[in-house]
Amino acid sequence: MTHVSETPKHRASLGRQVLPYAMLTPAVLVTLAIVFFPMLQTAWMSLHEYVLFRPNDFTWVGLDNFKAALNDEVFWISLKHTIIWMCTTIPAQLLLGLVTALLLNQEFPWRPVARALIIIPWALPSVVIALMWVWIYDSNYGIANEFLLRMGLIQQAIPWLADPDTALASIILTLTWQGFPFFAVMILAGLQSIPQSYYEAASIDGASAWRQFWHITLPGISGVMMTAVLLRMIWVANSFDVIFVMTGGGPGYATHTLPLYAFIKARTNLDFGYGSAIAVLFTLLLMVVVVFYLKRTGKAAS
Amino acid sequence: MKFKTLTGIASTLALCAGMASADSTVRFWYHFDNADNPMDALVAAFEEANPDITVEAENIPWNSYYDQLYTAVIGGNAPDAAMVKMFAQPRLVEMGALAPIDDWLADWDGADGLQDNLIELTRGPDGQQYYLPVQYVVLYLYYRPDMFEELGLSVPTTCDEFRETAKALTRDTDGDGQTDVYGFGFRGAKGGHDHWATFTLGAEGVSLTEGLTSEAGVAGTQFVADLFQQDGVFPPSAPNDGFQEIIGAFKAGKTAMTIHHIGSANGMVEALGDNVSAAPVPECGGGHWTAFGDESTAVLSSAEDPEAAWKWITFLSTEGNNTMFNEATGQLPVVKADSESWTLHPQRFVQATVDSLPFAEMLPNSSATADFVNTAWPTNMQRVLTGDIEPAEMNAKIEELFAE
Repeated sequence: MTHVSETPKHRASLGRQVLPYAMLTPAVLVTLAIVFFPMLQTAWMSLHEYVLFRPNDFTWVGLDNFKAALNDEVFWISLKHTIIWMCTTIPAQLLLGLVTALLLNQEFPWRPVARALIIIPWALPSVVIALMWVWIYDSNYGIANEFLLRMGLIQQAIPWLADPDTALASIILTLTWQGFPFFAVMILAGLQSIPQSYYEAASIDGASAWRQFWHITLPGISGVMMTAVLLRMIWVANSFDVIFVMTGGGPGYATHTLPLYAFIKARTNLDFGYGSAIAVLFTLLLMVVVVFYLKRTGKAAS
Repeated sequence: MKFKTLTGIASTLALCAGMASADSTVRFWYHFDNADNPMDALVAAFEEANPDITVEAENIPWNSYYDQLYTAVIGGNAPDAAMVKMFAQPRLVEMGALAPIDDWLADWDGADGLQDNLIELTRGPDGQQYYLPVQYVVLYLYYRPDMFEELGLSVPTTCDEFRETAKALTRDTDGDGQTDVYGFGFRGAKGGHDHWATFTLGAEGVSLTEGLTSEAGVAGTQFVADLFQQDGVFPPSAPNDGFQEIIGAFKAGKTAMTIHHIGSANGMVEALGDNVSAAPVPECGGGHWTAFGDESTAVLSSAEDPEAAWKWITFLSTEGNNTMFNEATGQLPVVKADSESWTLHPQRFVQATVDSLPFAEMLPNSSATADFVNTAWPTNMQRVLTGDIEPAEMNAKIEELFAE
């Protein structure tokens, strides 16, 4: 009798042990094949001289590509732009997203419609956004110049994307517009998880709106905000589609970022060895952010 | 009964399979800017004449045409035949991507019908023939005769005259303090090397492979920089302007001159009527330079049925079909008979093309040319225009690229 009752129990526990692995296996296999294998391949290529139009020439050069990158003026220009790009785009998106979320959390008529509309920039394909903004910035017909001229804020139409002093800032503005709904939606979800009773208690105690924001709202959404910032940092750092369509990295190197430079080297110049080396260097830099993110999610899970 | 039905089905299937293997498919890549392209009509005509061959023609966007072609070749998924330009030939030959066509060409009776010298011009870097010309253009100067007349100007024939003319044409027409018309629409983005080359490579002893860092070579780049920075005769957006922008600005009356080929002539006439004309580019540094814009077709070495691919590309360069092809691209036919009956473009543009032919040149037959066109030229030119580097530095970088 005991024997009979133990077998199904044993089976169930074995099943419980194996089942998660069995169910995870397909996803892990796919990830290994389409993420980790190309990653290893990139690392391997970065140690070789590999120019795609000389397919038979795959020579081991050790760390030469990395040395060349560190001595390459364009690498440092691109790195500088990447840092500016990340350090301005993300705080701007966060701030705009926070304000939007706070507004959308208020009671007002047509609120569901406003909430749906706000997501549009995030939902549009990057290429569409890029082309739209190229037209907005156009120095001959663009609405940005027309508006500023009529307001009397500028005297001459400014070639926003053709002037190296304004090109990067113009693209940062575009990216901010594209990415703020992500923050808005995430923070809005965070806001809704804060119990209303906290605010009621605080107002009975006589806390001002600012105090309530500082002591209740901000701590309540800090976790969501942190995760959103880290995620967005990784996405923004890797994204180059909008820049590629808007300026192609130009004029000159004025809007080159590291992922874009790696892409141009590999895809346009077909120099996969050197392009891979830049990509690997950038991955190492980004790893700092990734490790921080993984530590955070690990902590949250435990 | 059942068995009989089964064997019947099986034999029908086998027959179909046998028929399918006798047929061949030619995958063809091309790039047309024209949205209503007649490739379908050409394919239908070809398939009717060659029922055993199916053509799958695919229009690839121009901006990434070569990126896609090179990667497809490496990835083992290259088309069987493709439209190709001369600047890409050295690289494609180096990759072993092209099939030589010398033997087929010797047996093809259409070869004699092609314009003189075109086969010679498109010969491969190793002396073998890979390209079959399908269309050509020569770059010339577009200008606005009405604006010239209004200001009492004549078409510039030298760079000095060009500079003065461009300055005179750059003006504020409505008195609001804004420049409304710019003298010249310069293409500072990818593809604009032909504009720069006209001002730079005409000088004695200057070419992409030699003399670029000489005084005369640097003077050419300096001339372009001065036109933009000192004279302000290019629109401020010039560093980023590509094909769409320069043609759009000219059609809209924002610029009074630009350089392009007959491919845009009909669109310009549609927008401007008689207020657009053409002339050969000015002579700079004592000599003339303009680009011979070529387009050929080639059979890829990986083609499943090279004979079928060859049949298809010769079809495009045959009398009548070549006209249809060029009506879509707006360029000029390579078949003599088709040229003689050519009525698609107003005569003044054909004349400007013919007048420019004697000094039209092609980019060097070197594997560095692709990098020059795609990255080295646009990046360095933009840096010069925006004052980031000196003209001498740009020329040195280009010379270095070709010296590698």
